[in-house]
Amino acid sequence: MNLIRAELLKLRTTALWWIFAILLVPIYGVALAYNWLTANVMLSSDYADVDTGMIGEADRAVSGLYTSGQFFGILLVVLLSAILVTNEFFHLTATSTFLTTPRRELVILAKMAVSVVIALTVWLVTTVLSLGFAPFALSTMNQPSHIGESFVWQAIGLNALAFVLWGLLGVGTGVLIRSQIGATLTLSVLYVVGAQVLSGIFVLLGTMWNESVLTFRVVVPTLASDLMVSGQQFPDDPPRWVGALIMLAYAAVFSVVGTLITKERDVG
Amino acid sequence: MSRPNYTEISVDRLTKQYAKVRAVDDLSFTVNAGRVTGFLGPNGAGKTTALRMILGLVTPTAGTATIGGVRYVDMPDPIRQVGAVLEASSAHRGRSARNHLRVICRAAGLPDQRADEVLAIVGLNTVGTRKFKGYSLGMKQRLGIAAALLGDPRVLILDEPTNGLDPEGIRWMRDLLKALAAEGRTVLVSSHLLGEMQQLADDVVIIAAGRLIRQGPVSEVLGAAAGVARVRVRTPQPERLATALQEARLEVGGGPDGSLQISGADTAQVGHIAFTAGVELHELIGESADLERAFLDLTAGKAGAR
Ligand SMILES: Nc1ncnc2c1ncn2[C@@H]1O[C@H](COP(=O)(O)OP(=O)(O)OP(=O)(O)O)[C@@H](O)[C@H]1O
Ligand SMILES: [Mg+2]
Repeated sequence: MNLIRAELLKLRTTALWWIFAILLVPIYGVALAYNWLTANVMLSSDYADVDTGMIGEADRAVSGLYTSGQFFGILLVVLLSAILVTNEFFHLTATSTFLTTPRRELVILAKMAVSVVIALTVWLVTTVLSLGFAPFALSTMNQPSHIGESFVWQAIGLNALAFVLWGLLGVGTGVLIRSQIGATLTLSVLYVVGAQVLSGIFVLLGTMWNESVLTFRVVVPTLASDLMVSGQQFPDDPPRWVGALIMLAYAAVFSVVGTLITKERDVG
Repeated sequence: MSRPNYTEISVDRLTKQYAKVRAVDDLSFTVNAGRVTGFLGPNGAGKTTALRMILGLVTPTAGTATIGGVRYVDMPDPIRQVGAVLEASSAHRGRSARNHLRVICRAAGLPDQRADEVLAIVGLNTVGTRKFKGYSLGMKQRLGIAAALLGDPRVLILDEPTNGLDPEGIRWMRDLLKALAAEGRTVLVSSHLLGEMQQLADDVVIIAAGRLIRQGPVSEVLGAAAGVARVRVRTPQPERLATALQEARLEVGGGPDGSLQISGADTAQVGHIAFTAGVELHELIGESADLERAFLDLTAGKAGAR
């Protein structure tokens, strides 16, 4: 508990957290506007007429509005979580930290706890904002708020899970790749373009070689997270919980391997 | 609640093999409480590596290092037992010194006000809220000491703590470390400043190329190394004097300022030789054994920077 308090104080006593907090505002605005537009297209009557085959598109647009800020919010959380770890090496504070707490695995556990706090905070802030804005946005399209429906709350809950799992993955990556630039760059690339590039590769493999390869694309963390949050995109995709499990496995493996390495590695 | 007393530092056959170099090689020594022990060795001798192994930051290839019989990493409350100042240790540039110390307090379960107390001890209380990046080298060094003192430890381990301190700061450090040792604490301090060490240390541990060269009280180490006395003379006829001295089978070298340096003789002998040779002397100085010379003699040829 002392260690978690120490880690929270570390976070609070540099400028980093409020830079990220300030970034969150415009990012949320853009995300909301984007989701609003998407919903406008999806829910407009012409589109609905044409698109009778695709069940759930409308639900998805509504869920999107209620989970606005997810994409870049998670990016901020994952980067901040990695930096919690890489900062120690970048600013040469690891010596001081590990002198105070020679049991290094406890330090990493405390950082994970803080990363969960960060993840849930960002989730809470964006969710509260969305609960305010989404019904309003829907009302401008003459749509009901859908707020009483279970699919909305499922989306919000899975959103929280996504934030938390990505936060843990961020800590794990920071432990594995101690370099500040290395870790943040890897995570940004993986997160932002990883999904597109890697799905492209899997589709290519699927057409060239064997359709069944496509099923395995969920082992890519970004795609696993997509599956968990947005559900199946192809009929033979695995169910959502598989995506959640894969994300959890990544976070666990990265953290355990990273912690073992950190315990062995020389400091300084 | 009585807390266990970890005082004696015991290094036993400690070895660290890096890919290309054996930084510490089968090193054993002990450090006693109530005394300041100087840890000396040329650049690359393995001082920092040894200290980091004692503190559990570097894993030894072989051997053990314990403090009061317990490994640092096994102590339940290490910073209440051992305070350390290490080079290449730092604080976050954007965090204030006070907050840096408070983070350590939180992690160690010490009250926050301890941060202010140690800032006052090291004379940083007026600049405690300033960010670390605004600190001078000397202030950083003082902050390192402050962090080491947070837990009021019985043992202090310092790696070149006088680096970057001005004469006033060095004196302050000397007085502080002496006072801490006088309170019965164990103080192990590495340094390059041998003159400084001679004034500060009660005991010395000298290493070179990762191995122990000598350990013991300063007076003993000096006595052992001071077998050859050295004399320095200044004369308007250096060639003539040098010839005379060499005829008396003395070793003669030239000083940088045109003086002559003679080893293996005392001032009376040199004065006598000059007198019989009819050489005029302007200066005749017997150099007393000092730690710097003992150190240089002891570590000569033992590989400097590796
Ligand atoms: N992490 C490392 N990897 C490889 N070699 C290392 C490492 N750390 C130290 N060394 C080597 O080990 C030897 C001892 O280094 P160390 O820093 O312990 O010396 P030192 O006595 O503290 O020197 P100085 O007086 O210059 O501070 C040197 O040859 C150094 O190059
Ligand atoms: Mg050193």
